[in-house]
Formats: sequence, structure tokens, C-alpha cells
Amino acid sequence: MPSKKSLHIESSGQVCIYCGACVGVCPLNCIYLDETRITFDEKVCTRCEICVKGCPVGAIEIG
Amino acid sequence: MSTELSTDVLVIGAGPAGSMTAKWAAKAGASVLMIEKRQEIGSPVRCGEGMSKDWLKEVGITPGRWINLEVEGARIFSPSEKVFEINEKSAGNEVGYVVERDAFDKQLAIDAANAGVEIRLKTAALGMLKEGSRVVGAKVKHFGETFDIRAKVTIGADGFESQVGRWAGIPTNIATRDMDTCLQYRMTNVDSDVRYCDFFLGKVAPGGYVWVFPKGDGLANVGIGVQVSQVKNPADAKTYLDRWIDKHPGYAKGKKIDMVGGGVSISPPLKQTVTDGLMLVGDAARMIDPLTGGGIANGCIAGKICGTVAAESVRSGDASKEFFQRYEKGWRARLEEKLYRNWLAKEKLVSLSDETFDKIVEVLAGVRLEKLNVHNILKAVHTKYPEVTREFEAFL
Repeated sequence: MPSKKSLHIESSGQVCIYCGACVGVCPLNCIYLDETRITFDEKVCTRCEICVKGCPVGAIEIG
Repeated sequence: MSTELSTDVLVIGAGPAGSMTAKWAAKAGASVLMIEKRQEIGSPVRCGEGMSKDWLKEVGITPGRWINLEVEGARIFSPSEKVFEINEKSAGNEVGYVVERDAFDKQLAIDAANAGVEIRLKTAALGMLKEGSRVVGAKVKHFGETFDIRAKVTIGADGFESQVGRWAGIPTNIATRDMDTCLQYRMTNVDSDVRYCDFFLGKVAPGGYVWVFPKGDGLANVGIGVQVSQVKNPADAKTYLDRWIDKHPGYAKGKKIDMVGGGVSISPPLKQTVTDGLMLVGDAARMIDPLTGGGIANGCIAGKICGTVAAESVRSGDASKEFFQRYEKGWRARLEEKLYRNWLAKEKLVSLSDETFDKIVEVLAGVRLEKLNVHNILKAVHTKYPEVTREFEAFL
């Protein structure tokens, strides 16, 4: 069983509407929005999943 | 080769608060550089596009082509869709225009440019330049090139998803209960009434509301905000909005032509919006009205104060957080009381049951309140449903 932190996190480019809601809600400030691309600092991210809830369209997946 | 730029005032973000700050700083004599990470100011739109209008004069904005239409009032719909109508007078000018937000933002940037502000597009801040804990500019990326911009005063106007404050050491993190996750469709061929901005309360949008802002010719912005702490499953905002549209034939027949998302803070005001070398303004400073979700007016009002103080700071050669208290105190004197009051009201509203919403709206629909404020509302409700107002004693 992998630790939660070893899980990959990404925003689906097809689902994402690059609105920045995840960036604002991230408690560790580890998400970055660059026009139409969301990147996560996977080393800082603890996979707390708050961004998953904050995303209005369900674009963020962890696994 | 690394380029390095320097300026008196660096404004990060070219939304309304950024452009206002930049304009007023430039008008007061400072050299101002405003950077925007997107390729186009104002686009993509992330806004319901409804706004009040009584504050425009105060900050020097003249009505222009960005006005879509002027509404007469707002309607509040309870869960069983009893309706309570608020006109502009009774609401204290809370309603006003439905706007073209992209055109509005561009107009404000044009006003800033006309005041002498330099603007750079496709220029994203990557972090702060610091000397000790003091902010002295930002590291930026422009068309793949990374370089430093040194500034006597740096302004974080980077919106809801602000990172500047946190990079600078100002705690702007928000709890899930202090944020709504929002989604909106621009729809055509819907039955919206161009006289009103409509708000639908209750379980249709837990911890938020559904809005319909008319844009004329059968066009309307139909959107939702849901409190993040009440989100059960991913994409709940979309699920709730789609469900609401399905249940309203006047909208279910419409066609979606645009989709807009975003986060809205519904928090109490920040305790700190300045640090050495840096001030935060607008949504980045969590100045959004926590009851209505409106951020433009507050961002512009604070922006004028912020820009003025930035220029004074440059002139006096003092960019300490002590000097910036002029801004901190200035914007609070103008906005904080209402922000706090509306936050308290919001805290109460998100806890109400659908039955209670129905009772309140039913009473308000049946009485004629001359001036709409919390006190008058409670008095009216108390006469019919004293048990409802018991919860609100703190407001009386």
C-alpha cells in the first residue's frame, strides 16, 4: 500500500477550466496556474484533497 | 543574459484592483509597471458580471461601453420560490449594472495606461525578491525568459488565487468554510427578466446561492456558488447547477455558450494586508463581500487608496509596513465594518434550513420595508415568526 504522499496528483487538461479555484484553496500554496496549465509541486503537496473539493468541475485526480 | 527591470511601483495582476492601484499611483507621480500573466487583460472572464454602481464616481470610473444593461432591482427566491423583491433604493444601491467584465477590465487598464502606467502581458510572477523579510520586487517569467523586477513598492493584486501574499509572508490561507467554489454558464434562449438580478437560496446551493444575471436578448449568466466545506463529491458545484437548470424549464431550454469557474472567498477581513515593501489589494486581500460574493467595488475602492499610498511611500522613501498603515487603516475605515457585518450575516445564512428561508422570504414579500437592513428585516420577521428571529438576537 503506497503512502498517500506517493500518489500522483494531476488536473485533467480536458476537464480543467483553469479557473484557479484550486490555487486559492491550497493550504500549502503548491499549485500553480499558468494560463491554461495547472502544475502541482508534488514534493510539497500532502494530498490533503482540499483542492479536489474546491474544484468546481472535478478535474483534479489523485492516484 | 539576464534582464533586470526596476520601477517605483510594481503591480502584480491587471484586474480591476490592480489597474486602479496602478492608475492612482501613476497619477500621484510614481513610475508604475503592471504585469499580467495572461495574454489578454480581462479574459477569460471569471465573474457573474453583476455589480453595484454607487461607488464608481468615488474611484474615478466613468460609465462606458462595458455596461451591458442596468437592472431595476434584485429578487430573492426562497427554496419553495417565494419571491422577495429589492429595489435599488431600499437596497442602498446594492444592485446596478450587469457588465461585460472583459471590456470593463480592459477599460480600467486603458485608464491606467493613459495615466502613464507601463503594462506587460504574458508576465507571470514566480516569487518575491527579498532583502531579509522585506519585499523588493518579484522574479518573473516573460515569454520563457526569467528575470527580476526590482521595485520600491510591490502590490499583490493577483486575485482570489493570490500567491503573492503567501510568498511575502502574509497569511492569506482560507479555510474550506470560507470559500465558495463557483461555476457559471452564459446561456442563450432563456427566460430571464432583464429588470432583475435573481438569487436563489437554500439547499439548491449549500452555503451559497444560484444567480441569474440577465444580459439582454434572452442571454443570461446562470451560476452557482457552493461552500467548499459543504462539498460532498468532486464537481458538486456543477452537479448542483445542472440540477437547478434541469428543474427550471425557462432555463433547461437554453443553450450554453460559455463556461466560467472560480473561487470566491467568503471570509472575514484579513488581519494584515501589508508587510515591508508590499501591499495586497482586492480579492488577493480577501476583500470580497462575504455575503454577496462581489469583489469589484471593494477592490477598486481599496485600489485607489493603495495607489495613493504607494506613491506617497515612493516620495518619502519609506516602504516599511509602518508607513503602509496609511493604507491598512484607510481601506479598513472605508470597508471593514460592512465586510465584518456581512460576514456575520453570511455565517447565519449558511446555517439556515430551507423552511426558515421560506418563512423569512414569505414575510419580506408581504411587507413594505422602506429601508432594507438587517434590523428592519428582523423586526418584520419577528412579528410573524418570533422563533425564527431568536437565532438572530446578536444582530438586534
